[in-house]
Amino acid sequence: MAIVVRVSGPESDKPCRVAFSSDLDQITRAAAGDAAAVRALVNRYSPGVLSLATCMLSDRGEAEDVTQETFIRAWKALPGWEPRAKFSTWLHRVALNLCYDGLRKRRESLPGELPDLADTRLSPQEALDQSQRVLAIEQAISALPERQSAALTLCALQGHSQAEAAEIMDVSVEALESLLARARRTLRAHLLERSPSP
Amino acid sequence: MTEDRLIELIESWGADPSAFPQAERGAARALLAAHPERFATAIAEARALDAALARMPDVFPPPALTAALIASAPKPKRAGGALRVPKFAPWAPASGAAALAAGLFMGLMAAPSASASASADSETDDVQALLEEAIGYDPAAMSEGIAE
Repeated sequence: MAIVVRVSGPESDKPCRVAFSSDLDQITRAAAGDAAAVRALVNRYSPGVLSLATCMLSDRGEAEDVTQETFIRAWKALPGWEPRAKFSTWLHRVALNLCYDGLRKRRESLPGELPDLADTRLSPQEALDQSQRVLAIEQAISALPERQSAALTLCALQGHSQAEAAEIMDVSVEALESLLARARRTLRAHLLERSPSP
Repeated sequence: MTEDRLIELIESWGADPSAFPQAERGAARALLAAHPERFATAIAEARALDAALARMPDVFPPPALTAALIASAPKPKRAGGALRVPKFAPWAPASGAAALAAGLFMGLMAAPSASASASADSETDDVQALLEEAIGYDPAAMSEGIAE
């Protein structure tokens, strides 16, 4: 359950959602080097961060690098952690920004290439294969414009609440809804295109 | 809740009204229940996409990654603070003196063995002279013969 408190400072008139009490406890202990707390934070949050990075980058190696970098930044931030946002939200935002950086570097290294959907059309036999289907969806998501891809991953795949996903992406809920609508429309068209004709 | 707005909600959040923004959920449910046929196509399309997304497997970090993440975490501090070496070590002059004393001690210990080695050399010379005399070898006469 999230706790709502008033914080001191210029925004003291606004109630802020703070980290779960168990998060706060674990963060404090992890900052002091408590191995059990560190393990708990890693076990709780690394799957979500890795999943987000995998969907955004469609490259497992790069996704693991992003996950590592995200946690390195988290460990550095722990001692001075101010619970103005949920730790989960903050962590996913860091991961998302690292994904954006990675995608930007990719674009810079491949100048002139237009962002387009990956050609994931498969033979009828391959289309029956579940893993190929999953791969096709994963590639189609990562081929979406990055903000659409992030919105879809956070909401439809990871089940973040609307408010939380909007906070991670630093957009309004209305903007998030618009990104989601465009993402779903493009993805549906792509999946229809590659599905075998009746 | 208008029909257009309900279509937007379905296209954005999927077929399940429980995923719609909370403020609009009730009205959306009511409109859907009142005119299901008007939204059947949108619901069917959204449901197909929801199902495709639901088939995406969960991602689990491999053990090596988990281990690396844990290894990169802060390490516990020693009780009473970390062990630090002060910039000026007050024991530095004492350790220098100790090293000097150790050097002198080692030198003194090595000296008797050096003299023992010298006396061993003189004994070797005596043995060689006795052997030369026994076989009638005279190195001085040999050098004169070579000179002539």
